Amino acid sequence: MIVPAGAVLGLSAILFGIGVFGFLARRNIILMLISIEVMLNAVNLSLAGFSQHFEDLRGQVIALFVIAVAAAEVGVGLGLVIALNRNNPGAGVADLTKLKW
Amino acid sequence: MTWLTATFYYLAAASVASALLAVTRKNPVHSMLWVLALFLHVAGIFLLLGAEFLAAVQVIVYAGAILIFYIFVVMLLDLPEEEARPRFGNQWPLAAAVGLCFATLAWLARAGVGVAPAATGVTAEAPFQGSLASLGMALFGPFALPFEVASLLLLAAIIGAVVLARRKAAAP
Repeated sequence: MIVPAGAVLGLSAILFGIGVFGFLARRNIILMLISIEVMLNAVNLSLAGFSQHFEDLRGQVIALFVIAVAAAEVGVGLGLVIALNRNNPGAGVADLTKLKW
Repeated sequence: MTWLTATFYYLAAASVASALLAVTRKNPVHSMLWVLALFLHVAGIFLLLGAEFLAAVQVIVYAGAILIFYIFVVMLLDLPEEEARPRFGNQWPLAAAVGLCFATLAWLARAGVGVAPAATGVTAEAPFQGSLASLGMALFGPFALPFEVASLLLLAAIIGAVVLARRKAAAP
């Protein structure tokens, strides 16, 4: 075992925190989506770390499914961004208040 | 500390640095390039963890496909006012606090790994041999149904993206 599992999980925790911060703090929709990718990568790291720690391949399989779901999420998310930008060009996140009561 | 462990710590430090830069840069294209650096470093960590196929998928799918898609959309939308706008909302201290909370919680939960039952060896469904062949056997054996569902999900996502991004047809 080359890499201690605790170190991988710590790295994953730090990366997840950075992703949460980016998602909540940025004002650009595309950069918020990118922060989600950072969080998904952190989760994949911890899954691979557990897979190595418990010598069980299921962690890697689940990480593969996470990557597939991330690809689907990116396709739909960026399609939404394009549709949004067509309907009200130049809108930031703060301007999208139509659903606000 | 062997040189492989040193490599891991280099990759870990570099990925934390590039993630921080990615969420704080003002120019979206610079952010994308830092995320590319993050993806490549994470792929290196996957290699060290014995997940070769995951590393390849990380480079091909994440760095190759997903990131190019993001860069396409950034260039398509042409965000000229992005540079002038403040990059963070007013709520950013709160966001930093929430991120720190999440990181601390996950960091504390890490302590439980030490007491978890140590590598019991092998589960019947998916023995760990670290090879691509065993991963393929797991994917098409016990995980065949989720695998097919994932392909269905990707098909739904393709159709959804086409429908969402399509220009409305002019009324006849």
